[in-house]
Amino acid sequence: MAQRYREPVTPPGPSTAAADPLVADLRRALAPDRVRTEDLELALYGRDASGIDAGGRAAVVCLPETTEEVAACVRAARAHGRPFVARGAGTGLAGGAVPVGEPVVIVTTRMTRILEVDPDERVAWVQPGVLNLDLTRHLATWDLHFAPDPSSQQACTIGGNVANNSGGPHCLRDGVTSAHVVALEVVLPDGSVTVLGALDPEPGGYDLRGAFVGSEGCLGIATRVAVRLTPNPPAVRTLLADFASVEDAAATVSAVIAAGIVPAALEMMDARITAAVEDYVGAGYPRDAAAVLLVELDGLPAGVEAHAAEVVRLATAHGARAVRVAADDAERALLWKGRKSAFGAVARILPDYYLHDTVVPRTRLVEVLRRVYQIAERHDLVVVNVFHAGDGNLHPLLLFDRRVPGVMDRVHAAGEEIVAASLEAGGVLSGEHGIGLEKKAYMDRLFGPDDLDAQARLREAFDPDGAANPDKVLPAGARCGDLQRAPEGAWI
Amino acid sequence: MSGRADEREAVPPETAAGAEPAPAPGRAPLAVAPGPLRVDDAELAACVSCGLCLPHCPTWRVTGAELLSPRGRIAAMRAVQWGGAELDGTFVRAMDTCVQCRGCEPACPSGVPFGRLMEGTREALAFGAGRGRGAYQPWWRRLGYEVLGRHRLLLAGSTALAVAQRLRLVPERVDRSLPRLSLRRPRLRRSNVTGEPVWLFTGCVMDAWQRDVHVATIAVLEAAGARVRLPGDPGCCGALHAHAGLRAGAERLARRVIAALPGDDPVLVSSAGCGAALKDYGHLLGTPEAERFARRVLDVHEWLAARADRLPPPVRPLAGPVAVQDPCHLRHVQRAHPSVRAVLAPYATLVELDDEGLCCGAGGTYSALQPDLAAGIRARKLEAIGRTGAAVVASANPGCALHLAAAGVDARHPMTLVAEAAGLPG
Amino acid sequence: MTGTLDGFAAEVGPAEPVTVVGGRTQWSVGGAPAEDVREVRAPAGIVAHEPAELTVRVRAGTTVAELDAALAEHGQMVPLDPPDPERATVGGVLAVGRSGIRRLGRGPVRDCLLEARYVSAEGRVVKAGGPTVKNVSGFDLCRLLVGSLGTLGLLAEVVVRVSPRPAASRWLQAAGADPFALRRRLLGASSILWDGATTWVLLEGHPADVDAESAVVTSVAGGAAAVAEVAGPPPLPAGGRLSARPSALRDLRTGDHAGFVAEVGVGVVHTTAPVPPPPLAGPRELHRRIKAVFDPTGRLNPGRSVVTA
Repeated sequence: MAQRYREPVTPPGPSTAAADPLVADLRRALAPDRVRTEDLELALYGRDASGIDAGGRAAVVCLPETTEEVAACVRAARAHGRPFVARGAGTGLAGGAVPVGEPVVIVTTRMTRILEVDPDERVAWVQPGVLNLDLTRHLATWDLHFAPDPSSQQACTIGGNVANNSGGPHCLRDGVTSAHVVALEVVLPDGSVTVLGALDPEPGGYDLRGAFVGSEGCLGIATRVAVRLTPNPPAVRTLLADFASVEDAAATVSAVIAAGIVPAALEMMDARITAAVEDYVGAGYPRDAAAVLLVELDGLPAGVEAHAAEVVRLATAHGARAVRVAADDAERALLWKGRKSAFGAVARILPDYYLHDTVVPRTRLVEVLRRVYQIAERHDLVVVNVFHAGDGNLHPLLLFDRRVPGVMDRVHAAGEEIVAASLEAGGVLSGEHGIGLEKKAYMDRLFGPDDLDAQARLREAFDPDGAANPDKVLPAGARCGDLQRAPEGAWI
Repeated sequence: MSGRADEREAVPPETAAGAEPAPAPGRAPLAVAPGPLRVDDAELAACVSCGLCLPHCPTWRVTGAELLSPRGRIAAMRAVQWGGAELDGTFVRAMDTCVQCRGCEPACPSGVPFGRLMEGTREALAFGAGRGRGAYQPWWRRLGYEVLGRHRLLLAGSTALAVAQRLRLVPERVDRSLPRLSLRRPRLRRSNVTGEPVWLFTGCVMDAWQRDVHVATIAVLEAAGARVRLPGDPGCCGALHAHAGLRAGAERLARRVIAALPGDDPVLVSSAGCGAALKDYGHLLGTPEAERFARRVLDVHEWLAARADRLPPPVRPLAGPVAVQDPCHLRHVQRAHPSVRAVLAPYATLVELDDEGLCCGAGGTYSALQPDLAAGIRARKLEAIGRTGAAVVASANPGCALHLAAAGVDARHPMTLVAEAAGLPG
Repeated sequence: MTGTLDGFAAEVGPAEPVTVVGGRTQWSVGGAPAEDVREVRAPAGIVAHEPAELTVRVRAGTTVAELDAALAEHGQMVPLDPPDPERATVGGVLAVGRSGIRRLGRGPVRDCLLEARYVSAEGRVVKAGGPTVKNVSGFDLCRLLVGSLGTLGLLAEVVVRVSPRPAASRWLQAAGADPFALRRRLLGASSILWDGATTWVLLEGHPADVDAESAVVTSVAGGAAAVAEVAGPPPLPAGGRLSARPSALRDLRTGDHAGFVAEVGVGVVHTTAPVPPPPLAGPRELHRRIKAVFDPTGRLNPGRSVVTA
């Protein structure tokens, strides 16, 4: 009905980017208004939600709408010897979409079509720019949803979820993105288009689909994603348990899991964030609790009721002062609103935050939390904790005001110590944000040279020239030595 | 052809019309950073670039362009304000394409007052930053805003336009974004019943183009026990001026509105955009008087929702379902949109749009100044309306209703629908 | 426990072809191993099981039955569900990558591997993934290893995600019940099998939910007379294994492939007659390069390949 809006095209003029022969090639492949070269626009694509500035910027920004256009962008970049970086909504927190140097930035925000929904087979093909929550809303007609629900789900794209193997509160039971992607159409770093995985359960070959999910744009660009759809549960129970100590709350988490209950979600908030959330949204959270647990159980009605009763019993046995069971959907929504407003609440304490994302074994939660508080205190920083306790995924938020001189040094030093404490407890670097630029330098603390070399080999197989999102995930020198080349066909 | 005089109350004479008065003495000082934009440094610093605003921004939804998103616009402001970047055409385009729907504000976890940042930026652009005053708000736009503040001129002009429409003298491109204007405007009469006294703010364009909504509103208010008073000529609320960066004009109009609606009685507004502006007078003028005034302002639905038990009975409820379209300045700015549902519910089966209140693209003068983007934004809204299956759309803002009607939607003001269903004149 | 990781690595060594042996229960998947190749066995034994973590660290040579028995003591289980658990090893099941008939409820085998320590073609112990239930630190080599038939590295020790055993579990046999209607209407079915005439359903969960879902089966089958509780699934034909889109199973007719049992909702069809292996998903050249970077000399499990001719 309405004509499609077209951005004004840079007039031929002083812009150096516009005169680049690469730009001319891209403008032949895409509508000219979807190849952006103005200085201001290029600068905007130099950052994402991580705030990391790698000193790079987009050489040119492309907004393709189809697989063929993405492939054309990649081929043009390669033909001109340029690397390329894929970007969705730019909500990543590890700098995965931040350009290093001057790559071609390929933005998927115009690839927003839900191509096909098969409610019978519970699978949908979507373009990578579809927003996570838009997809779930669209699926409501069929009483289905897309299970991964990262906190940024209103804004983050499915393509971004694929790149980061995103999680969210409800991945405790339902699993992360990898478990919900059955096939991917991708543009490989050489510009060719292929499909990894399949809609049948046992496709032939290596699980390249699995290798691609979570590869942070280093193995290519997903252009169509076949996602697995999950039925909405017939019964849901949401509980809020109020504890006088973090230890009691953590012990309850372990007891629930050990009792054979895997809740749909199991979230913890510490004293400071609970009070802040309550001040912000008034969801009825106890202002004086040392910690609260938000537990959601869903599934078939009898199991849900039995498990809810058991969670209440276990929480009470572990010292909960009160356990509130949401009486209806409105109360349930209000409790979740409190949890999901945590970031808004901290903004009212101090303007800036640095959100960390590490995972530790569930049984070490208390110990690591204690160390997190000590680290923050030592660096004179405010820290609040709101996290996915069920899977041990810590999210310490260091709060600060970046206009205070020297504060960033303290924030980074504290962050490094938090990462170290998590690794010492047998944890990992990231549960759902990824490595990107942020944690690249920490990779050798989790992995030895042989381990990193193996990951670098995977990348080499997909992208021998390192053209796809260079300088991400793996630290420099991850690949040891040169490979002996096998003659083709020797192994088949 | 405004015809017979309405029963409006006398207006105090306007002082120094057209002049640029000095800011009122009580106005809060703005902690303006050294850069060229008239924005608060701390407010500009509050954005943490998380991107949660993006899906709530109509221009980002249509273009996918970071530059045309709230986060991108803030980054552009920062580049200019802090980084010494040029106020070039790209920057102006980023600012000019913002609908100022403020859908980003409720979505923002950090509470960034984006509307204020945008108004301050446009104010700087309009008053000389970058390419000079004339380049940003050319004479013809300024003239248009001036007419809004001169009600008789607007009424006469509207009548002339209505005649021109009938003589097919209006260019097709312009006419597409206009409603079919009526040659006759019904006469407004203040209440002669006893009841709770309230003012009805009549405004400018709405009074000229949609006076039937005022008639219906008065009828519904009276049925709910109000004694409705009408200001003489309150003129324009100044919202469009503030959005365009013409702050002095907005301040002048605000003072006139306050003067036209004296006393302590509630000031009811049936146009969401105007209501949001009136509620912001305290911030705009920064005087205790303006703050007192702002506290008296209510959207007409807010007032009625608090008196739901006194709403007239539905004698002929509306047949089909009615889709509720939330005007941005009711939902995102006044955050009073639930009251529309509370008021309409007895009269119709209400259905919700599934787009979380995304803007329809009307945006005051936006649909005229950015017709392509406005049409692209509206296309999304039309799809959402289509998904509800409703034939009638209730919109509590005249701009939205006109913009949707121009695309063939049967968009009506909730007060009109209530009056019809309650068998009241309207 | 038998053997150590370093001992296994030393046994594999840096050169010469080797074949890793588990329980030989899926020995011919991907082609028969080349003859006269030195055989090695992964170490065995459970290294650590912390019930509250819902994970278990286990050596690859451990039999699935041994692991299952240890987990059962804590009311837990792993989604490794081979036909012959007494012989099949954890490493073998992961390397072959085939899920069991309970995939509908428990998910595919490929999702349960959290961390792998494997011996590379260079004879070194390499770690992929991490021990926590959630982890996005680096590329996901674990997914690549599952189903790789030991052609990229030899699994030595793994951390696998475990889950609680269901409180109640019931197999029903329903003659004539539409399995696709059951798939739509049952939320607690861990398996729906169909041979073209008879449907078998495994219901798992809270006893009351299992009862409620049993009633759904009865209603779909058209009455209690058509439904019987049975001890377990029917015997599966072992002639071939077909992978089809779940919706394609509707086209199967009794007697196709000389008899079949199909996993409804999943798409695996067990057939009496042999069927060709599934076509390759993804470019052949990319598969070749992956094999080449991980095993440049082709010494790991020669004769077996994930790529069909």
